[in-house]
Amino acid sequence: MASPSAPGAPHSRRRRLAVAVGLGLVLFVLSPLIGPVPIPPATVGAILAHQLTFGAVAGAPCGARVSAAQCAAWTEIVWESEVPALLLALLAGAALGLSGATLQGTFRNPLADPYLLGLSSGGTLGAAFLFVFQVGLAEANVALPVFAFVGCLATGALVLAASRFLGGSVETLLLVGVALANVLSAVLSVVLLFNAEGSIQVSFWLLGGVGGASWDRDGLVLGGLLLASAPLLLLGRELNLLQLGPEVAQSLGVDTRRVRTRLLLLASLATAVAVAFTGIIGFVGLVSPHVARRVWSSDYRAVLPASALVGAAFLLAAHDLSGLVVPSVVLPVGLFTAFAGAPFFFFLLFRHRRGEFMGSPP
Amino acid sequence: MSGPPPPALSVQGLSVRLGTHTVLHGIDLLARPGELLALTGPNGSGKTTLLRTILGLLPPAEGEVRVLGRPVASLTARERARRLAWVPQEEAPRDDVPIYDYVLYGRYAHLRPFARDAPEDVAAATTALREVGLESRARAGVRSLSGGERQRLLLARALAQEAPVLLLDEPTAHLDIGHQLDLLERVGRLVRERGVLAVAALHDLNLAARYADRIVVLSRGRRVADGPPEAVLEPALLREVWGVEAVLRRDPNTARPYLFPRRTVEAAPARAPGGLGRGPVHVVGGGGAAAPILRRLCDDGWSVTAGALPLLDSDAETAQELGLAYVAELPFAPLSDEVRARHRDLLARARAIVVSPFAIGPSNLGNLEDLLPRDPAVPLFLVGDATIGDRDFTGGRARALWDRLKAEGGTPVRDLDALLAALGGAFSRAS
Repeated sequence: MASPSAPGAPHSRRRRLAVAVGLGLVLFVLSPLIGPVPIPPATVGAILAHQLTFGAVAGAPCGARVSAAQCAAWTEIVWESEVPALLLALLAGAALGLSGATLQGTFRNPLADPYLLGLSSGGTLGAAFLFVFQVGLAEANVALPVFAFVGCLATGALVLAASRFLGGSVETLLLVGVALANVLSAVLSVVLLFNAEGSIQVSFWLLGGVGGASWDRDGLVLGGLLLASAPLLLLGRELNLLQLGPEVAQSLGVDTRRVRTRLLLLASLATAVAVAFTGIIGFVGLVSPHVARRVWSSDYRAVLPASALVGAAFLLAAHDLSGLVVPSVVLPVGLFTAFAGAPFFFFLLFRHRRGEFMGSPP
Repeated sequence: MSGPPPPALSVQGLSVRLGTHTVLHGIDLLARPGELLALTGPNGSGKTTLLRTILGLLPPAEGEVRVLGRPVASLTARERARRLAWVPQEEAPRDDVPIYDYVLYGRYAHLRPFARDAPEDVAAATTALREVGLESRARAGVRSLSGGERQRLLLARALAQEAPVLLLDEPTAHLDIGHQLDLLERVGRLVRERGVLAVAALHDLNLAARYADRIVVLSRGRRVADGPPEAVLEPALLREVWGVEAVLRRDPNTARPYLFPRRTVEAAPARAPGGLGRGPVHVVGGGGAAAPILRRLCDDGWSVTAGALPLLDSDAETAQELGLAYVAELPFAPLSDEVRARHRDLLARARAIVVSPFAIGPSNLGNLEDLLPRDPAVPLFLVGDATIGDRDFTGGRARALWDRLKAEGGTPVRDLDALLAALGGAFSRAS
């Protein structure tokens, strides 16, 4: 944009961005310190430095007093489990933040979230079907993300197709999404009713978490995120115009139907990659766009990346907290996003009642 | 193949259905660049539907809309937005977007996908802001604008589209009178300066008459009139389409028709215009002196005639409006023999004569001369006797005639109420 935007001069926005990124970095460095296995902070730093420089720096990361076996175990924990977990938190958070911002923009509704189109029900059902087939744990590890991913995307595509068939208005889309989510939940209940063991696993999956992260999985999430975000970030202008209402947007040259379909498919993809590997993590996608709008601007070309950043930071913070509260136990991260997100949700409702809801954050 | 350039907008045989209800029936419309066309009609007549169909937001059931010769249905959204710009009735921005950015939204159809704003986009937005007088506010947020300014913002955004056709849907609906005039002045100027075609749905007939080059009237989804304001706005059409009895005048400054709505058709009393009441009473006047008398007599149920009035003056217009028989002469011309003959004809048929307090000059002195010789059986009332000296611009000849009328039985009356009392008395004695 050729002119600086009104709320907040550009330099102050840049400062806010710097503060946010700095905060994220601190969280990032802190998180490996927090885990079920206590490892001295200096050692964590040294292990990170050692691994990041391919062994060029910090030749003996654990120091002389630690045995080679112990050091190898610590390195294994930090490098193969904790770092992938925090990266997964960042990537999934970014995907949810991006997806949430996209959906709120597409529906012009500040209560829209990544699971709006029944994606969570679809993903859960996909995961539950896996347990119906009673596959072994080793296979489940590989197959669960696939099943969840397919369940998610299939639901999104189904909702889009059905609403298109029914006339394609935004209201139809929402209603079809809600209806389908209910049907899927009912199917899920039936599936779980006949599969007690599966229901425990599914309920744990439902809580969401970044446990079981690995470099391979992070790679897949990153791939999916890039695939969804690259085209999404180019649709900011269209999202801005959609805020004027579908008819005005169309009169200004936006092919509203096609753009909306594209946005929803990409948002579903971003959601599905996150859901596949982390389960259902609530509130990140709902809250992040609001924070992004409040801190930066209402211009979607800024809101989309900013919401991804906020989402990443939010999930990372929740991940860190989840390891802190009960010593040596990592609680599901979804619990923490809910604890932080729910009050915010009430705050939004409160503002809604006061009639400020549909307006932009001041 | 070279021929005349295609019309800016052509609508042919357009019918639109919403559900099972047909909202527009076979509308035809041709419009050229540089025209300000007002689309008017009562609520529910299909103005907005027509605009929305032209814009491609609604599909036609039959017929076709073409812009610069191309069917709208065959255009992509971008191509459409480069040809048609829309100013919606109102738009409440949710986000406090900077005004400049909001206007730049109008450039979307000109941008290559994913490209940044080019110098011509910046220039178009800046020009548009200047043309609506918001350039000094460019960096403020849209939510800081008042209702009138917001409508100008929407106009600026449409101008930034640089489309040859501008569609405005009740652009003044939510504005006060000052902002209504301001907005339409601007649109009119843009039509002249940029040579665009503007099609505006307007409820207010007086605004339409004042600013539009052409008025198209829709009624129940059909086009019932189409032409310049003075041809379209006539009492019969107003009665038929809007159910309103209205008087048309001419705005002395703009020469455009101006409308005074009087009563809805249903509410008007069952009075045969100028016809079957007691009388006839003939009123002599001119220059507006007779108008209140004519109106009051008609309202009281008298049958009234009038003369000899200058054409186009307010007495003549009132007589016209009330449907009276009257005699008129060209403005500022001396009464011709032919007019005086017809005037004497009316006077001869009158059962009472009222002389209104009109200004008497050499050109209309005949109005008094023709009252002589008097028929003593026909009562004569001289309204405003006290002011005759001030109204005499004939060097005393009018006054002499006035005095002679009084001497021959003319009754001076002070005002309208006195006149009515005297008239009533004269007729009850006669019957």
